[in-house]
Amino acid sequence: MINYKKINIWYLSSFLISIIVAIPIVTVFTSFFETTSNYSAILKNTFLYEYIFNSIFLLLGVLILTFFIGVGCAYVVSFYKFPGVNFFKWALILSFAIPAYIYAYSLTAFFENFGTAFSILKNIFGDGDYNSFIPKFDGMLGAIISISFSLFGYVYVLTRASFHYQSQNLIELGKNLGFSKRKSFFKIILPSARPAIVAGLSLVAMETLSDFGSVSFFGLSTLTTGIYNAWISFDDLTLANRLAFYLLIFILGLFVLENFSRKKAQYHSPPKGGFKSKSLVLLRGKKSLLAFSFCFVVFFISFLFPVLQMLYWTIIFPKHFIDLNVTELFLNTMLLVFLSCCILIFLAFISNYGNRVSKSKFLEYLTTFSVSGYAIPGIILAVAFITFISWFDNTVISSFEMNSIKSIFIGSILGLVCVYFIRFYSLACNGIKSGYLKINYSIDESSYLLGYSKFKTFFKIHLPYLKNSILLISILIAIEIIKELPITLIMRPFNFETFATTAYIFASQDLLEAAAAPSLFLILTSSVFILVTSKYIIKD
Amino acid sequence: MSENFLEINNVTFAASDKNKVSNVSLNIENEGDVICLLGPSGIGKTTILRTIAGLEKIQAGKIVLKNKIISSKDIHIEPEKRNISLSFQDNCLFPHYNVIQNIEFGAARNEKKKKNLSIEEVVKFLHLDHIVNKFPHEISSGEAQRASLARSLLSKPDLLLLDEPLSNVDQSFKEEIQVKLKKILSELKITTIIVTHDSYEAFYLGSKCGIILNSQLRQYDDPYNVYHFPNSVEVVNFLNRGILIPAKVTGENSLENEDLGTIKGNFIKRYPKGSHVQLLLQPEDLEHDDKSNLKLEVVDRKFRGTNFIYTLKTFSNLLIPVFVHSHHIHQHEVDEKFGIKRPINIDHIVCF
Repeated sequence: MINYKKINIWYLSSFLISIIVAIPIVTVFTSFFETTSNYSAILKNTFLYEYIFNSIFLLLGVLILTFFIGVGCAYVVSFYKFPGVNFFKWALILSFAIPAYIYAYSLTAFFENFGTAFSILKNIFGDGDYNSFIPKFDGMLGAIISISFSLFGYVYVLTRASFHYQSQNLIELGKNLGFSKRKSFFKIILPSARPAIVAGLSLVAMETLSDFGSVSFFGLSTLTTGIYNAWISFDDLTLANRLAFYLLIFILGLFVLENFSRKKAQYHSPPKGGFKSKSLVLLRGKKSLLAFSFCFVVFFISFLFPVLQMLYWTIIFPKHFIDLNVTELFLNTMLLVFLSCCILIFLAFISNYGNRVSKSKFLEYLTTFSVSGYAIPGIILAVAFITFISWFDNTVISSFEMNSIKSIFIGSILGLVCVYFIRFYSLACNGIKSGYLKINYSIDESSYLLGYSKFKTFFKIHLPYLKNSILLISILIAIEIIKELPITLIMRPFNFETFATTAYIFASQDLLEAAAAPSLFLILTSSVFILVTSKYIIKD
Repeated sequence: MSENFLEINNVTFAASDKNKVSNVSLNIENEGDVICLLGPSGIGKTTILRTIAGLEKIQAGKIVLKNKIISSKDIHIEPEKRNISLSFQDNCLFPHYNVIQNIEFGAARNEKKKKNLSIEEVVKFLHLDHIVNKFPHEISSGEAQRASLARSLLSKPDLLLLDEPLSNVDQSFKEEIQVKLKKILSELKITTIIVTHDSYEAFYLGSKCGIILNSQLRQYDDPYNVYHFPNSVEVVNFLNRGILIPAKVTGENSLENEDLGTIKGNFIKRYPKGSHVQLLLQPEDLEHDDKSNLKLEVVDRKFRGTNFIYTLKTFSNLLIPVFVHSHHIHQHEVDEKFGIKRPINIDHIVCF
């Protein structure tokens, strides 16, 4: 129930922001009360099961692969000392800079008939029929590999942070109980990191199910491409929304399942008292080489391989690079990053502070509900936004006989930033929330008791404390926006291109070599952002 | 208008249904008075402080500070406007400022007030010199508590609320800090309410003590009276100073217990001759006498530095505590017999 006594300016602001972000989720849900076209019946009898099966298979493949790569890397760099370990700690995060669709371009470019692998073999061994020996990574396998290597970073970063804060006491406890190293790993270390691993895998699951770039490149029919087809090919927005709802239910089901299996087990280690930092095990000889090789292979495949492939093409096809207006693309991308970051951080702060000072359960539930929109594919968000603006324009605005607002919000920077806001709000909101969780509420009370108002407490206490969180979240948002594809494609103004859209347009025309230069610049820009914040990402 | 510095009239302090202290009425008469609230953990002592500070609202009654209603059903002055300082039991220093910056936050408030207390002075007396440049996560909980106390003291509030201010402080500093704290509060005339579960601390620092038990303020009186004239069995049990034994009133100044025989003293309340009462017997009420013919069995002996507390078993299996100065040459082992001086004389007789 709403406690009306708690309603103040902070409460109302927070409420309004959550409602705006929740609009697409409600739109998706209301699709069940609307009629669909004939395509719905056709889809049910034909491709729907294929979409679902492919989505599940893709999801399982990606989850398994990201689990092994992410947890494996996190374990090796957190518990062992070997040459290069400090380099790999941050270098493995660079995979964040590679969007799955660019990875897909690289994979295809390298292994396709007469591709880069063929050229390498030809240069070394001379002419030959190498195409029949070179494995082909396309379709489902290609999509699983591309998405896994571009997303394993989520599992790696979160698991590594969890391993980092695991107390030496826990490991010593295992030794006292007579556990072998293997048993300690499976019985103590891994279960303790379970929430972090699950959090990482959840993000991977959401990104995978909403991936559009790589699955469409590989021609794989999933729920996301189904949504796209329902909207683009059959103009059936209701069905598109309904498919998106299935996706949401699917993701929600995963969360519930995990939560249920966890029961009442607690995983949190107290940060103070009883915490003892770990002593790392020094590896020598073969073991050291093995650990180094594992990390290097992952780093190579996830980052160096696509970078080198794109670099190779940029060098051998300089015309495409020369024709590219890098400055304009860079400025366009940065403009979107800057505007989105400012709006997201500002509104996420207001919402979180509103929640904090009003202590309203209702508001908390509403915020949690609204941020679940992160799981909605970008395409659906864009479409839902356009639908909403059209409806608002046709009903509310026209009834007041005012000028149409469609051109202000559709095909404009403002509209694009609005949809980015809805898409990445959960990132900003949860990021600031996790920062706020570290501030005990009695800190606020101490401030009030020292005579500081809520406003002053916000500026004097919260902002300085959360400045690192703000920086980190801004950079994460920046990386996401630099890589973002479907929303930018749909919502951008005419002739407004970013690195991502330019790369996609070339790739969709089968001009992969032309897609190389914008892809490379996209990777470089993201990498710079990642490197700036690598120490925060590793820690938080 | 009220002449008391602080008045709490029929207020129910409640953070939740379980954690509630009902219908509390108490006054602090003069500016500069220090009172202590004692009670077991989880009874709602902290809630009382939080409510007075304005962090919780009240549904009934009123709180008046310096003739101004600060809390009632309809009025709620925001915490930042009350000029009341609360030093929390847990570490609530601002984590991103070092100790001295945290303390300066306190000093920045009411800078123009006359009460003169320098940062250096407070830092010195609370033994914070060596940690002023450290951050809260780098210091112990006792040090954080002292830093928080310093911040509150320097804010020169109209009313200072201290929640278990020395609970994490090392024993070696504790007494010294208690002495200096009392002196500073008195010199600066800072009206203070201290919540503690340490009765010695409360008896030393407070000019009055309130005992909170079973969701109620059971007794509010001078420390001496609270200790020597507890007004209920619950207060006796809480202070844990003695036991209640059955006795029969035999005259204006005497009672009879079947194990201890005649007990003489001054009743603080009259009882009719022949009535059966529960007599409060405190450890210092009985005197040891090796030559006495009243011998009881020792079942336990606790060494408390300046004294021993012997626990003796009577013929009817009552367990009675007795203080004996630790310099007493003859120590008694468990199972030995222990003589009690007769006749037993108690200065004031408390019965229920």
